[in-house]
Amino acid sequence: MDDWKPNPLIKPFGARKKRSWYLTWKYKLTNQRALRRFCQTGAVLFLLVTVIVNIKLILDTRRAISEANEDPAPEQDYDEALGRLEPPRRRGSGPRRVLDVEVYSSRSKVYVAVDGTTVLEDEAREQGRGIHVIVLNQATGHVMAKRVFDTYSPHEDEAMVLFLNMVAPGRVLICTVKDEGSFHLKDTAKALLRSLGSQAGPALGWRDTWAFVGRKGGPVLGEKHSKSPALSSWGDPVLLKTDVPLSSAEEAECHWADTELNRRRRRFCSKVEGYGSVCSCKDPTPIEFSPDPLPDNKVLNVPVAVIAGNRPNYLYRMLRSLLSAQGVSPQMITVFIDGYYEEPMDVVALFGLRGIQHTPISIKNARVSQHYKASLTATFNLFPEAKFAVVLEEDLDIAVDFFSFLSQSIHLLEEDDSLYCISAWNDQGYEHTAEDPALLYRVETMPGLGWVLRKSLYKEELEPKWPTPEKLWDWDMWMRMPEQRRGRECIIPDVSRSYHFGIVGLNMNGYFHEAYFKKHKFNTVPGVQLRNVDSLKKEAYEVEIHSLLSEAEVLDHSKNPCEDSFLPDTEGHTYVAFIRMEKDDDFTTWTQLAKCLHIWDLDVRGNHRGLWRLFRKKNHFLVVGVPASPYSVKKPPSVTPIFLEPPPKEEGAPGAPEQT
Amino acid sequence: MSRINKNVILALLTLTSSAFLLFQLYYYKHYLSTKNGAGLSKSKGSRIGFDSTQWRAVKKFIMLTSSQNVPVFLIDPLILELINKNFEQVKNTSHGSTSECTFFCVPRDFTAFALQYHLWKIEEGWFRIAENMGFQCLKIESKDPRLDGIDSLSGTEIPLHYICKLAAHAIHLVVFHERSGNYLWHGHLRLKGHIDRKFVPFRKLQFGRYPGAFDRPELQQVAVDGLEVLIPKDPVHFVEEIPHSRFIECRYKEARAFFQQYLDDNTVEAMTFRKNAKELLQVAAKTLNKLGVQFWLSSGTCLGWYRQCNIIPYSKDVDLGIFIQDYKSDIILAFQDAGLPLKHKFGKVEDSLELSFQGKDDVKLDIFFFYEETDHMWNGGTQAKTGKKFKYLFPKFTLCWTEFVDMKVHVPCETIEYIEANYGKTWKIPVKTWDWKHSPPNVQPNGIWPISEWDEVIQLY
Repeated sequence: MDDWKPNPLIKPFGARKKRSWYLTWKYKLTNQRALRRFCQTGAVLFLLVTVIVNIKLILDTRRAISEANEDPAPEQDYDEALGRLEPPRRRGSGPRRVLDVEVYSSRSKVYVAVDGTTVLEDEAREQGRGIHVIVLNQATGHVMAKRVFDTYSPHEDEAMVLFLNMVAPGRVLICTVKDEGSFHLKDTAKALLRSLGSQAGPALGWRDTWAFVGRKGGPVLGEKHSKSPALSSWGDPVLLKTDVPLSSAEEAECHWADTELNRRRRRFCSKVEGYGSVCSCKDPTPIEFSPDPLPDNKVLNVPVAVIAGNRPNYLYRMLRSLLSAQGVSPQMITVFIDGYYEEPMDVVALFGLRGIQHTPISIKNARVSQHYKASLTATFNLFPEAKFAVVLEEDLDIAVDFFSFLSQSIHLLEEDDSLYCISAWNDQGYEHTAEDPALLYRVETMPGLGWVLRKSLYKEELEPKWPTPEKLWDWDMWMRMPEQRRGRECIIPDVSRSYHFGIVGLNMNGYFHEAYFKKHKFNTVPGVQLRNVDSLKKEAYEVEIHSLLSEAEVLDHSKNPCEDSFLPDTEGHTYVAFIRMEKDDDFTTWTQLAKCLHIWDLDVRGNHRGLWRLFRKKNHFLVVGVPASPYSVKKPPSVTPIFLEPPPKEEGAPGAPEQT
Repeated sequence: MSRINKNVILALLTLTSSAFLLFQLYYYKHYLSTKNGAGLSKSKGSRIGFDSTQWRAVKKFIMLTSSQNVPVFLIDPLILELINKNFEQVKNTSHGSTSECTFFCVPRDFTAFALQYHLWKIEEGWFRIAENMGFQCLKIESKDPRLDGIDSLSGTEIPLHYICKLAAHAIHLVVFHERSGNYLWHGHLRLKGHIDRKFVPFRKLQFGRYPGAFDRPELQQVAVDGLEVLIPKDPVHFVEEIPHSRFIECRYKEARAFFQQYLDDNTVEAMTFRKNAKELLQVAAKTLNKLGVQFWLSSGTCLGWYRQCNIIPYSKDVDLGIFIQDYKSDIILAFQDAGLPLKHKFGKVEDSLELSFQGKDDVKLDIFFFYEETDHMWNGGTQAKTGKKFKYLFPKFTLCWTEFVDMKVHVPCETIEYIEANYGKTWKIPVKTWDWKHSPPNVQPNGIWPISEWDEVIQLY
């Protein structure tokens, strides 16, 4: 190193003089042995450094990669995607633009197969009577909706008309009849079938079999029909085989603006059908509602559990009304679906809500009961800070002031130990028996249908002894049992804040619904200020009732209470009637009175210590059971309590809820 | 001629190799700078370091979260420690007046924030906005453990972690979920098959190696390097919690299988016992937590948690373990004040200490003190009648959080070893007759207390 000196010649030489520079170098190198040696060493050093740097670089990169790879370790069993329904596979490898569809209609069996895949098969006895309708996506062949309308029973044809009208134009419609589908198929429905191009549908007769494939608003693709020869026999089974040409995907989709909401909408609309204008291309119905917030909302952080089964249309209607209610907080809502049903989950996703599915455990009532338990437990697990939970069902409309009603009354649950629940539903609140949206009652029965549950009640009392699956109990009946209720009462409004619209259900049918639920009063006024909420507390309520009874006018007990003239034609008065009630559980006269007043008479509801409160002709009407009720002291000595004889027992008395 | 050729070759070799070296050096520098952020290139002027990748990423992230109402707070241990050391600086500087970037410009790979999921109103859309702002985001989801305890529920997945990368710096957003027992839980960061393993150096993440549990922190707003952020009110406590935050979930699936085999006892007595035991455990936990004494579920209570995720109804007592070095003489008094009088005291602090307290309705709280040896742990037992001593040996263990009857409590992380030591390999089979002196496989006779000491080491009340 010592002998080396920087060569002064290097710098002045530019690139232009490369040749001479090189020659100089050559000359120098050949002549200066020492320098040459040095250069050799330098070159070797260069090479070495390069190699080292290279190796280091490679090592560094490798380490960084391996670090990223090593941990956290992925687990193999992690991805267990639930098998989604495969679309009917198309035969052959090329894009086949035709589906072949088979439709079978007979007395005891129906089935529909699309490209060899059975999409509907029903041969269960005593079930699935009526017209089965399937909607296919015209571009993909996906099943978008599957419904059965028991048009043997009343009003089911109306539901069918409603449904068919909601199906978007262009979709493929498949109809097939099982057993009987014409008895209550009215003219409107027949006209609609005619407008779809069906020949046999409008002329469908008693116990005919019928299979139909057509495009909504387009041509009929196939139809078969077999007339029943006699009243006591069925038409011959028919099997319809037809080809359905598929259209292109662009034609089947709408062009909505690209927003988060519309992305949800698109996902929904390409999968399911029968939700009307939500999938309308031109002017789709909104799926976000942003109702007014409530000032001082006490229930903003109360979780809402929606208990649902496989009635997605109900769920859709229910969630719409729930999300439109003032003061709703969507992130507090959880929908619990009893079973691995896709369509209810799609509805939940459409509204951007949280949905949880529940593997069915037991059968019928016990299954509902287990579903309730799991849902309530999950709700309090998901919201560990919550002191209450709102429990709703999928077949309820929710009043616009539902949360306002709860916000004004929920403190009662905290302050009054003698309360069991707050419910939005008045069992006796019919159009003709409810009047005052600001009025609240205390009742000894638990109405359900939109109610608030206290966490401590659930966690400490109900959950540990909830009926096990082998006990086939109704959860609500169980909750009403004295062992559970322990003398506690529920707060209810005079005018219900929920409306029970479901007519298909475990304990429901059309007749039952019409008799007991359809004429129920439902509050539609927003922001109702509840009156005197604190007077609902245990002691205060007694004071309230006593003063109410003191000022009430005693009705003429010689008149027939079932007659309209029993109450005078006044407005805003308070009247009282005394009926016979020997013991706490003697409801003979009350049941007869309830029957003739056309209110709930299947069991006793809405009583408070032998007192019922309702409205008649815009007058507050009190009924006191004498002598069982402590309010009997208010009976003037001259008045003889009314006694109504129960009718002689008959088998199959009308009105009993049929178990389907 | 040959000599000239040799020289030419040598010169060419030198040239190419130096060119190559230059390229390597350039590349290496580039590589280094992406790794450590642009911390090297400091700008001149009064605001020193404010153009660092870290600071810019954090700033953008805070802009995003405040505009989208994403409820986040800072949990990065490195920065929280720095903040704690220079707390005055954070408190006193008003927005924008800082002259030096002291916290967020520190070279590091990640900045960790926590997301309070229960306060989050609009989940949708922010992801897209983050991506529009230049972040590259990764979302890690999993099923909700809060639904695991319930038979057969399956929900939509919940987010556990978000990692958002801006240039060379990444924000790790840990999603904190509320759990029963007033604590916050975060999940395990598990990379599923399709995730790019080179997205960020996952190994250097401070959170997510295990699920974790934290006390719900109170928050405060501070200005850090001119950025308004929420941090825990007690950053030291939070940072101290991090290394001990590992959480293990109860084995709900196995517990369900257990109940299918042996059926749950739903008699009134069983339910009353469970209720009493739960209340007793709650009181004990509250009392010990107030004293700052660490405890864990031991013996039968631990077995109940591990085997059936519940209190064993026929166990008749609640068992807790405490390390002897955590013993405080005021434990007895504190329990008395909480309504749990001392029932008996065996042993002494130096040897085989055991305390029993009388709860409501004949439910007893047993506290065993554990002594540490070089290769094992042990706790002692004393037979009151004979003064005989027993020793129960356990392999060494550390403590993890878990959730038990709506409480966040400790259990040995190495639960299976702990339980097998105490109950043998057949712990899965319920045994109703258990003799604490002979049944456990880990029991050893340990001599006898000298009679002169009996007054001290056998105290019955």
